[in-house]
Amino acid sequence: MAVVKLDKIVKRYGGGGPVVVEDVDLTIDDGEFMVLLGPSGCGKSTTLRMIAGLETISGGTLSIDGRVVNDVPAKDRDIAMVFQSYALYPHMSVADNLAFGLRRRSIPNAEIERRVKEVAALLGLAPLLTRKPSALSGGQRQRVALGRAMVREPQVFLFDEPLSNLDAALRVNTRSEIIKQHHRLGSTMIYVTHDQVEAMTMGTRICVMNAGKVAQIGAPLDVYWQPANTFVARFLGSPPMNLMDATLAAATRRAASPALDAPLARWSDGVLQARDGRKVTLGVRAEDMAIDHASLDGAPGGRVTGRTIAVEPLGAETLLLLELPGGGEITARLPRHVTATPDQEVVLFFRADAAYLFDAETGDAIAPLETGAAAVRAAVQRRTH
Amino acid sequence: MAATLAAASGRAPLPRLFSRGILALVLGVYTIYQLGPFLWLATMSVRTTAEISADPYAWPSPLHLDQFRTAWVDSDFATYFWNSTLVVVGAVAVLTFIGAAAAHALARYRFRGNRIIYGILFSSIIFPPQITLISLYQILVDYNLYNSLFGLALVYISLQLPLTVYLLEGFFARIPQDLFDAAKMDGYGDLEIFWRIVLPVGMPAIATTLILNFIQLWNEFLFAVVLITDPEKRTLPIGIRAFMGDHFQDIGMIATGVMISVIPVIIVYVFFSEKLIRGMTAGAIK
Ligand SMILES: Nc1ncnc2c1ncn2[C@@H]1O[C@H](COP(=O)(O)OP(=O)(O)OP(=O)(O)O)[C@@H](O)[C@H]1O
Ligand SMILES: [Mg+2]
Repeated sequence: MAVVKLDKIVKRYGGGGPVVVEDVDLTIDDGEFMVLLGPSGCGKSTTLRMIAGLETISGGTLSIDGRVVNDVPAKDRDIAMVFQSYALYPHMSVADNLAFGLRRRSIPNAEIERRVKEVAALLGLAPLLTRKPSALSGGQRQRVALGRAMVREPQVFLFDEPLSNLDAALRVNTRSEIIKQHHRLGSTMIYVTHDQVEAMTMGTRICVMNAGKVAQIGAPLDVYWQPANTFVARFLGSPPMNLMDATLAAATRRAASPALDAPLARWSDGVLQARDGRKVTLGVRAEDMAIDHASLDGAPGGRVTGRTIAVEPLGAETLLLLELPGGGEITARLPRHVTATPDQEVVLFFRADAAYLFDAETGDAIAPLETGAAAVRAAVQRRTH
Repeated sequence: MAATLAAASGRAPLPRLFSRGILALVLGVYTIYQLGPFLWLATMSVRTTAEISADPYAWPSPLHLDQFRTAWVDSDFATYFWNSTLVVVGAVAVLTFIGAAAAHALARYRFRGNRIIYGILFSSIIFPPQITLISLYQILVDYNLYNSLFGLALVYISLQLPLTVYLLEGFFARIPQDLFDAAKMDGYGDLEIFWRIVLPVGMPAIATTLILNFIQLWNEFLFAVVLITDPEKRTLPIGIRAFMGDHFQDIGMIATGVMISVIPVIIVYVFFSEKLIRGMTAGAIK
């Protein structure tokens, strides 16, 4: 049982240094698998290391199960961590690596041996117990690192990009191994990654971070379908969501620019009125773009016109990169039979309910009428068309 | 692999046998160069000075093995040997422990003045140790440590500590921080991490400094001869010196004494050399 609560957590390195983590508010519920996701250098590791107790906290309170642990040393927090480098003790055998954390606590030897054997069997490490880490493959080292955390049966597991040193196939395997262990143990887990696929597939919730701040927290699909700002919109999804400058006209319920004309069906009159004549950013995901108007099933839709920069046939689909006349580029994910020549003028269509609106200055999302589960349902429905 | 490397460097690959042969030749010449004087010394250690004067390079016959007994018993080499062992083993043990602890602190902890302390230690390596001789003499006299083995051991520790810390710091700083963090997460405190992680992982470097310090101090002459006057407290190098008179040098006995003093160095070297080599070829941390 462990609820980890971060309350206005701040980190600045070396006293007066720059703030690298700023006012992070985050509650990780008991048994939850929380993913910290963000680009390189955004402060994910720093946040994780503050939870671990490996880094001092410059401001705010960190509590575990209601107990403030700001000043509790790492060794007394009952947290286990899996490092990106695995950090196996090079002078100890696999068995000793696994047992090292247990020996520190007054656990009888027989019990230690039982637990080590159990975890080794679970992770397929039994034949390797007498080996030194230098005699293991990358994947085996990774499993030892995972096992070393598991034998301790800690309150909280922390992972700092544990899969980034593995090849693609092994990464997928280990990913499902970790998910399996999460289901089995039911412990609270916090997982740092910059890989959106890992985040989407593993997390019960994800916390997207940008430049030391929380950009958005939510279930993976909620975050994907309802990005709180342009940063999250572009960070989740591949290729990233297309963002286009436009001017809002409340009377006609449209956002338009020389290249673009989009009906705004999802927003209330009040919301649109308040921004009449103002600059907005219109977002449409690459997969919501279509090359022929017929695919909209007669529904009112938007259109955007540009010139092709590149055509990327990927086999199963074709990516089309367009340059808009007013500046800016967009990408469309189209059926594989689509072809285009460079510098050809192309018109793309999208359904009105596939459009997102963001404030042009702050980048914050302008909330549509339907939100929460309804929005996800609507989005999934439009996807199944 | 070898072929591609050679090709990349623009040279034709030497036939393997030929390059091996050259290597063997170089090593052979170097070995003779190093071993020759030692073998010569070994022959002289079982010959009398009169025999040596007659023909310095002759093969020993008869073997005067009793010279070792003479040195050990009559010339008090047993005492000198014991004194040397006490001072050097004591000093090296303390050096290794304090040196490793200091190196770990300097390599791993961020505290005010860390680099200043390191800089001072480092700069003291640059100066020749002899410049401290006079002041050390005065200090030892003031503290009643002059002419004592304990005082000599203290001096030895202070002489070798900077280099020890310097060598170990370089190695310890390359131990990945994650290893320490992992041990902390596993519930260990700073001291235990030093014992259970730093010392074992740093063993190649520690063995290196241990051998270097042992050889250096075992052969140390200058400080010993200045700071020890009592014949009962002589270390081996001063003991050997006793065979050198103003007009007459007992070369046979000097050789015997040197042989006695060389044996422990060889033992220590053989015992730790595997780790020494690993420490010197470095990259030992994966
Ligand atoms: N010891 C340190 N001293 C000073 N600044 C640091 C230190 N460690 C990290 N930083 C800075 O803090 C910021 C956040 O670093 P952090 O390691 O948390 O990023 P991250 O999100 O984990 O990135 P990555 O995905 O590359 O691991 C970076 O700008 C980094 O330069
Ligand atoms: Mg990181």
